[in-house]
Amino acid sequence: MSRLNSFRELEHLREGLRERLEKYTTTVMLCGGPGCHAARSQAVIDAIRKELSAQRLTSEVRLLVTGCHGFCEEGPLMVIEPGNLFYHRISPDDAFEIVSQTLVKGKVIERLLYTDPISCKKIQTEAEIPFYRLQDRELLSQNRRVDSCSIEDYIAAGGYTALAKVLQSIAPLEAIKEIKASGLRGRGGGGFPTGRKWGECQEAPSDEKYVICNADEGDPGAYMDRGVLEGNPHLVLEGMMIGAWAVGARKGYVYVRHEYPIAVKHTRIAVEQAREFGLLGNNILGSSFSFDVDIARGGGAFVCGESTALMASVEGKVGEPRPKDVHTVVDGLYHKPTTLNNVETWANIPGIILNGSSWFASKGTQGSKGTKILALTGRIKNTGLVEVVMGTPIRTVVFDIGGGAVNGKQIKAVQIGGPSGGCLPVDKFDLPIDFDILSEAGSMVGSGGMVVMDEESCMIDVTKYFLTFLQDESCGKCLPCRVGVDRMLEIITDITEGRGKPEQLDLLEELADTVSQTALCGLGKTAPNPVLTTLRYFRPEYEAHINEKKCPAGVCKALITYWIDPDKCTGCKVCLQVCTYGAITGRKKQVHVIDTQLCQKCGICRSECKFDAIRVI
Amino acid sequence: MLKYVNVNIDGAIIHAIKGTSVLDTAIEYGICIPHLCHVPYLSDLGACRLCIVEHMVNGHSNVTTSCTLNVEEGMVIMTNTDKIRKLRRNLAELLVAQAPNSRAIQDIALRCGVREVRYPFRNEDCVLCGRCVRVCTEVWKARAIGFVGRGKNRHVDYPFGVRPEFCKQCGSCIQLCPMTITPCDGPMKPGEERLCGQCESQLMIADQTPGSCVWCKLGEGFGCGRYV
Repeated sequence: MSRLNSFRELEHLREGLRERLEKYTTTVMLCGGPGCHAARSQAVIDAIRKELSAQRLTSEVRLLVTGCHGFCEEGPLMVIEPGNLFYHRISPDDAFEIVSQTLVKGKVIERLLYTDPISCKKIQTEAEIPFYRLQDRELLSQNRRVDSCSIEDYIAAGGYTALAKVLQSIAPLEAIKEIKASGLRGRGGGGFPTGRKWGECQEAPSDEKYVICNADEGDPGAYMDRGVLEGNPHLVLEGMMIGAWAVGARKGYVYVRHEYPIAVKHTRIAVEQAREFGLLGNNILGSSFSFDVDIARGGGAFVCGESTALMASVEGKVGEPRPKDVHTVVDGLYHKPTTLNNVETWANIPGIILNGSSWFASKGTQGSKGTKILALTGRIKNTGLVEVVMGTPIRTVVFDIGGGAVNGKQIKAVQIGGPSGGCLPVDKFDLPIDFDILSEAGSMVGSGGMVVMDEESCMIDVTKYFLTFLQDESCGKCLPCRVGVDRMLEIITDITEGRGKPEQLDLLEELADTVSQTALCGLGKTAPNPVLTTLRYFRPEYEAHINEKKCPAGVCKALITYWIDPDKCTGCKVCLQVCTYGAITGRKKQVHVIDTQLCQKCGICRSECKFDAIRVI
Repeated sequence: MLKYVNVNIDGAIIHAIKGTSVLDTAIEYGICIPHLCHVPYLSDLGACRLCIVEHMVNGHSNVTTSCTLNVEEGMVIMTNTDKIRKLRRNLAELLVAQAPNSRAIQDIALRCGVREVRYPFRNEDCVLCGRCVRVCTEVWKARAIGFVGRGKNRHVDYPFGVRPEFCKQCGSCIQLCPMTITPCDGPMKPGEERLCGQCESQLMIADQTPGSCVWCKLGEGFGCGRYV
């Protein structure tokens, strides 16, 4: 492919590509995202491809291996267009049937259709599924239209139109004005207005400026950036190009974590393709704008998601944050003005430029505009990537889209925004997903990770988990984060192991407050959030642990005992056989007894008991 | 030629040299801001966080370390508010609970108003103030020691744990280390750690004029920038 030297050449190429795609009568979209990949989607893809060539359909049917569709719980997923037919949980053995029945004869295979859990009816099309129906998939739906590794697909789907529009007719200052008017706020965690950031960077005097895409997503249970970058890397690149044009940068970096090998690979392919097409390099599309992107791989430090630590890491230094009294838009990478945005923020840019700021600003709430991708995980029916309009109540996301708790349990809380976010109880579920309202409630939108917890989760134990994570991932530079988090963990461990004292709660609160005010970087400042929110909303649970030495959820091992209900025990000997510690004794058809001295509280007996006779007290 | 800016520290308008930090300026003008990791001739790390101040920006107060904050025209800084004193005391408490076996740290805890320690003592040998690392790197350009590891595992060590040839054993690191002088009563054995508090008399003048440097003996103990 030769370089594109003008806007007309780009349009010409696009028309040619579209013509080529119109020859196909059917498109089969198979999800190759991380969730489906784990459900062995690669084998399905290979089987379908083999079957298509065996039945000589390759010239009529277009097989599209795309990025994440979102409904990871039901993967591997397949959507067939035209018709929007949705198949789920496909196995490689289904390939023959799908090709010969659905693709050739047009018959729908009932068994692969999704069943609505409420009405128990089979649903044919993707659009009718409740999980998708309530979403506004502005970014994620674009994942489905393109092959992640093909710039041609992206161009045919209308890609790089926004870049051409900016280069042809929008001056940098106007572009910044447009972004400011759209009300877009950073999607990485802080929620800083993107337009303002760009404006400040544009104004900073310097001969050299940089743009960076932060794809160092490290929150436990969050993978929205991964979904976007793996599925549609060109969208992110296009956003970066527009940003670079606006602030006056000639060089960009994508900082992507090494643990996302597919994201690294797809970004690398995308950058190479863009260079080949002349969309990166000197005089892009014949204009005066020159820009290039390099990929920097992160070594797996959570702290490198913090902007200054990330920049130090790109420079080849130890990834540690530095004080931000002078902002990175003035003094950033290599001490030059730098605009750093999250993957999702960059991905929103082309849409705003194409459709206008008023289109974007029409969605969402007063202070938070547009849509937000959330990674819905935890004890919930429909896990996956969800994209909703800002301002959607948490309840809608958890119950209507997420389908509620598994196994008919009660949902107790949701942790929003990863380890630095906070746990919100079920009575706060009417709060909308909104930057300002959630921070007021002590939590934050953050990067958008949502971990749902049910009645069997102990909030103290959850807090302990997050503190352990944060203590491991603290860089250790400043005292409050290194020692403060460690001391909080020490107190929480005391509480979960039955050594808690009432006065420790006040100390915990005071310490959490100290850490949040004095830590050096954003991660340290938000590290006490799990403690602060659980103390605020789940104080009775803390008090039960301390005063009554009981864990209401039955999780903290030091505070629980397993007990066999004599009325329910049938003496089937199952628990006796599975107990590896020999703690259960009893004869056949007689009530069994647990020796609490020997019991290690592993819970295997309880999960194996068919009569629900073993209880935690 | 030196350029000057006017900054307001605790209500006093100070004519400060542009490019200096708020901490240096305050100490120079006799305003006491306790600090540990700051050494006047080394770069600032912002590790101990004891020198926190309130920086007023558009009527909004930011808590930040004064050692890493450079003076700017019209800046309003408050070093000794109730909020700052409380935060500083909590930080000093964390510090002394971590390493009670150092006179410098005992002194600074006393100076910051720690009267009881609510955490179990740990008898550690290093508080990661980074003075040694910076003097080795910046003054002697030897880079013989550095920080190794992350989070709880962070410690100061030679490259790969072996003393390199370019360490000339000059001893500067030891000289600057706040851990090298034990409390006056001698080393505390594990299990017997306590808050020393013997120099409380030093605070009598300081209590009456909080926020002013009274050349206390405590400052000498923790290597206050004013004594250098």
